[in-house]
Amino acid sequence: MAAKNGAGSIAALTAAAAARLIADVARETSGWKGSAGVVAQATALAERCEALAVEDAEAFTAALDALTNNSPDLVDRMVTATAVPVEIAVVAADVAEAAVVVAERCDGLLRADAAGAAALAAGAASAAAHLVRANLTVTADDPRLKRAEIAVDDARYSASRALDSGT
Amino acid sequence: MSRDEELVGRCLAGDREAWDELVQAYSRYVYAICSQGYRLQGADAEDVFQEVFLRVYDRLGTLRDRAALRPWIAQMTRRACLDKLAAASREEVSDVEPTDIDETLAELDDAFAVRGAMAELPEECQEVLDRFFCRDESYRTIGDALAIPSGTIASRISRCLARLRQILDPTDG
Repeated sequence: MAAKNGAGSIAALTAAAAARLIADVARETSGWKGSAGVVAQATALAERCEALAVEDAEAFTAALDALTNNSPDLVDRMVTATAVPVEIAVVAADVAEAAVVVAERCDGLLRADAAGAAALAAGAASAAAHLVRANLTVTADDPRLKRAEIAVDDARYSASRALDSGT
Repeated sequence: MSRDEELVGRCLAGDREAWDELVQAYSRYVYAICSQGYRLQGADAEDVFQEVFLRVYDRLGTLRDRAALRPWIAQMTRRACLDKLAAASREEVSDVEPTDIDETLAELDDAFAVRGAMAELPEECQEVLDRFFCRDESYRTIGDALAIPSGTIASRISRCLARLRQILDPTDG
């Protein structure tokens, strides 16, 4: 069965696009000596998100397949399908954090792009955490859910800082 | 005087510790050329490794430019890998050379240079760069592990990268 993109892989791709955008903003900001370091981090984060998008599509497809066919592997596949969105939420929170650094230092004309990238990353983290919460193997006190929720809080806080920067 | 020039001088003066340092400094590099450049594994890679360091030991005195130790070892490793592959396939050496070998070796050289520069960074920079770029750890995980606010990790990584860049290219900035 071909891997199918669900909300998890789309969230990862959204975070990847946000990371690429902040790399561009950092690159285009003149007179900022530390910009190359942020470009390197944002690029690494984008690559991590893109890999997670592929991983999530495969895990999601395998879980759907197991569910449809009542496979004995169902629980294992559901566990894997939970682990990937947790990582997506965590990396998306890092994208939002990197966006704050850029929003606080970039050219004023580009600040809205950096802030927008932070908001997109926070949205991606929220979507990924929702998938963790919705997974049938996850209970309310599950540490995986806790980790994803902390990432969402971090990402939202970063997004609010980025959106407020320069005002 | 570069680290390699100093190391070669000490080896040629008969300093046994210098030989150990040389092998330690270049063993990963030689293995990487064998495995990533020529896809040699296990006993074959081990044979090449032994052969290369034997040749280094025998011929170090013939190295004219001591600062060129790394390319000299790279060339010797390429030759040993080709000999190994040619012997196994009974083909001409020119027929067993991978087409993308120059690109692979250039990447290995870059990686090796970065690794060497990393070693010159303060320990806290080495730690934070290794955790972020090599172990793919999140800002929060790094912050928790090093007892640093996670909101400052991205800036810290940028500062450490700027120092790394300065080491790799002292004329930059």
